[in-house]
Amino acid sequence: MTKPATTVLEVDHLTKRYGQILALDDVTMSVPVGSIFGFLGPNGAGKTTLIRILMGFMKPTSGSARVLGHDAWTGGVQARERVGYLVTADGLYPDLSGYDQLDYAATISGRSPEWRQRILDALELDAAALRRRLNTYSKGMRQKLALTVAAQHRPDLLILDEPTDGLDPLIQRNFEELLRHFRDEGTTVFMSSHDLGEVERTCDQVAVVRAGKLISSGTMESLKRRYSQRVEVMFEGTVPDGLCEVAGVEMVHRDGQLAVMDLDHDINPLLAFLANHRVSRMEVRPPELQEVFMSFYEREVPAG
Amino acid sequence: MIAPLTQRLLRRGLLGTVMLMLGMMLFQFVNPFIADSLGGPEGLASLVEQLPPAMQVLAQMSPDFVALTGLAGYLSRGFDHPVFLILLLSAVIGFTARAIAGEVDSGVLALALSRPISRLQLYMARVLSLVLIAIVFGLAGPIASRAGLLVADPTGSVRNGQLLALAALIMLFAWSVGGLALMVSAMSSSTGRVVSWATGYLVIAYFVDVFAELWSILEPLRPLSLFAWLDTSGAMVDASVPVDSGLVLGIVGLVGVVAGWLVFRQRDFMV
Repeated sequence: MTKPATTVLEVDHLTKRYGQILALDDVTMSVPVGSIFGFLGPNGAGKTTLIRILMGFMKPTSGSARVLGHDAWTGGVQARERVGYLVTADGLYPDLSGYDQLDYAATISGRSPEWRQRILDALELDAAALRRRLNTYSKGMRQKLALTVAAQHRPDLLILDEPTDGLDPLIQRNFEELLRHFRDEGTTVFMSSHDLGEVERTCDQVAVVRAGKLISSGTMESLKRRYSQRVEVMFEGTVPDGLCEVAGVEMVHRDGQLAVMDLDHDINPLLAFLANHRVSRMEVRPPELQEVFMSFYEREVPAG
Repeated sequence: MIAPLTQRLLRRGLLGTVMLMLGMMLFQFVNPFIADSLGGPEGLASLVEQLPPAMQVLAQMSPDFVALTGLAGYLSRGFDHPVFLILLLSAVIGFTARAIAGEVDSGVLALALSRPISRLQLYMARVLSLVLIAIVFGLAGPIASRAGLLVADPTGSVRNGQLLALAALIMLFAWSVGGLALMVSAMSSSTGRVVSWATGYLVIAYFVDVFAELWSILEPLRPLSLFAWLDTSGAMVDASVPVDSGLVLGIVGLVGVVAGWLVFRQRDFMV
């Protein structure tokens, strides 16, 4: 009996160069089945290049990318039978009506659009709008239609580059809800986004890329654990000497009885230190994804 | 899968393509009326005789030519007239530029690339569309000529076989230009660049072909011009496509299409 696949995307030592420009540098990562995977990075980090390679639009310079078990370049046709991809809002035919666009996409996908209506309902794209040609659509409406085109044929893997760009906040929440439903029904979602709030609300796992290098990858929780926690301690007396020397503690602010610190990884050395002092209040706050993200970008990336 | 892709390609810019075809047909429809108004082949011969030799060369018409080829010869000149060529080539280059570079430019190629369609299927849809355009535009002019002949009824006769041979030659010419333009389109990501390159080549090639008759230094370059192989009078008078013209135009188009495929199958698409 064939063992069921545990990953939908496997990227192995993938490198992509455009002439002298290194767009992706030896990236290795995998995306597990049934997850919503966020792919983060600033503009020019290599997110779109990786997505284009996964979709077979580009050939890797070296390394490989496998999509649903097929090589993205040589076996792309088989892989794309089960993939939904979000084209840019400008990548739809302006001379077609919304309905014609959806029908055309379904025809060339070779699969029936069984999720079409539920997506249209969630995104509030009505029949009157769909009867109009795309050149009368706003950017947000085109984005809604592009999302429907991407997912209407019930793909096993959805690849979305900046999916909620141009959507208003209410529709954005509806879409995030829809993605969770898709995941619960077995579709894996791989999405790049600039919206860290959206990623934090939606994604189970994330990978962070900078200057073409993968700098971190894992579950949301593991990523946050790797980042320093902010600790505030109010002492009954003045802040004791020696606090700065505790392993993993970096003092941020010190004022009379109050000490504000960033704490790396292990909290136990700090707890051991505090056990010998009178503490009136202590607060440990887990980092927001934004803080984690910013910490990655404030660090230097080794030249490669 | 190729059928819906071809249909979509042909539907884009359909209005413009139809307008160019109608303009081309109108031009050929009017030609028999002009021949009639000039007094048929005899009137034409005396008119051409009054032109200075250099003008006869530029008009690609001499009294002997008119005497030998008659009405068919005169009408064949309408198929290598600049107005006709501009309309025909605008349609062919416009389509090929849109078909790949234009779709990269606008980003719509991503929709088809992201579906379970091979690059060969995507490319074949473009080649098939080019063939259909070449066939339709090849037939349109001669059909309009026949209609004009029926209505104007000028002195002299033109057989359907002559018009069919002309149609086949026009198809091959459109195929050869389209094949080269498709190759440039496969290499480019900008519609404007394809139009510039194709137009640049064709303008130079046209002047080489026309002025080679007057300026012998250009004569060795003439075979490099596709217009040199557009032997409309030969096709019309003999009622068959000249073998050398047919071979050269067919092979050039095929080479362009194959070279375009070699680029298209390997290139990165930034869509």
